[in-house]
Parts: sequence; structure tokens; C-alpha cells
Amino acid sequence: MERGGRQLSSMLRGAVLRHLQIPSRPQQGAAGFVGDGWGEAIRRRFFSEEVHSHGTYLNKTEVTDRVLNVVKNFHKVDPSKVSPSSNFQKDLGLDSLDTVEVVMAFEEEFGVEIPDSEADKIVTCADAIDFIASQPQAK
Amino acid sequence: MAAVGAARGAPAASEVLNLFRSFLKETRKFADYNIREYIKRRTGESFRESRDLDAAAAASAFEFGKKQLEVVRRQSVVYSLYAPRVKNIMELKFQES
Repeated sequence: MERGGRQLSSMLRGAVLRHLQIPSRPQQGAAGFVGDGWGEAIRRRFFSEEVHSHGTYLNKTEVTDRVLNVVKNFHKVDPSKVSPSSNFQKDLGLDSLDTVEVVMAFEEEFGVEIPDSEADKIVTCADAIDFIASQPQAK
Repeated sequence: MAAVGAARGAPAASEVLNLFRSFLKETRKFADYNIREYIKRRTGESFRESRDLDAAAAASAFEFGKKQLEVVRRQSVVYSLYAPRVKNIMELKFQES
């Protein structure tokens, strides 16, 4: 009975922590978790992946593919002209307003916030790839 | 400096682009697909219509744009009270077979 209660509370705790997206810290609440098979398993199952997806840089090849896809899907762009070195205005025939829209589309694709000062510097696909690859929170 | 410049002469290109970006950011807050896409389209059209204005006209268009941005901000609050319960079919992603 006592054991079951402990298990339940640690499961609940795991679920709540996961929901709130608090990064796991082994020393925190160690007394409650260590040696408790369920809590440990849940923690390993969910937190390790979460830390992985929120805290590391994306692979540059993946970023390149996804950036190029976003650009190719932009309605005014001819997909056959898109390459990593394409300049939005010179090579792809976009205007400055379109460039703003494309950069906003990158924000949505990768779940990052690009500040105005950085957004103004992104004028080619390569600029976007470099910026996103340097953002640890990009996903 | 920026405010004075906007009142007297044409706004700088970067100011205009920042205003445009603010519109698009505000647009994201609308839950209703139709409203969201409308505002996005309307924003783009208005900015492009004002492309070739002379300095004085550009300055007044810029001031008008800033007021319209406030309108969009207020409307996003109003529309959030009446958010649709289901998604528009245009927002659903279908698996390609």
C-alpha cells in the first residue's frame, strides 16, 4: 500500500514535470526518486529525449534541407532556382517584404524567435542556415 | 529621432520593414484561419500599394500603418473571445498517400 502510493506519486510527479517542461536535475528530489524503479524509468524515458530536443544544436544538413524546403514552398519562389547560396532578392526575385515573410516562415518552422536586428541580416539561404544552426532552442 | 523623421519625411526602409514584421507577428495571434489569412493578405497588399509614394505621402502612410497596427492588436483581443472551436479544413494536414 505504502509502496503503491509512492509509485503513484512519483508517476504523477513525472507527468507534471514533463507537462511543465522543467529540465530534469538529478539532485533535485533525489530522495524520492532514487531506487524507485518507476520514477527512474519514467524519468529516463521522457526527460532524456526532452533534454535532447531542447538543448542541442540541430544537425546542419537537416537545417539546410528544412530551410530550403521552406523557401521552395514560398508561393512566389521558383523551386528549381533554390540553392543554399541563393540570395532572396537577387536570385529568387523576392522584394524586401517577401524576405520578411520568408524569415517569419523560418521562425514558425523551427520554433525560434528571430529578433529584428538579426532578421535584417538574413538575406540568403546560407545566412538563415547559419543563424538557425547557431540556435540551441531550434527544433 | 525616428519619430521626428517619420513625421517630417519618408520613414526609413528598416522602419517600414519592422512595422510590416510587427503586423505579421500580430496576425499569428488570430485563431480563425480566415481572419488570419485575410489580415496577412491585406497587410501585404497595403504595403505594396504604398511602394512608390513620395516622401510626404509615405510619411502619412507610415503613420496610418501604425494606427492600423493598433487596430489589429485590439481586434486580436476581441477575436480571441470568439475563437472557433474547430479548425478550418485549410489548416488540417493530410497525409499524402
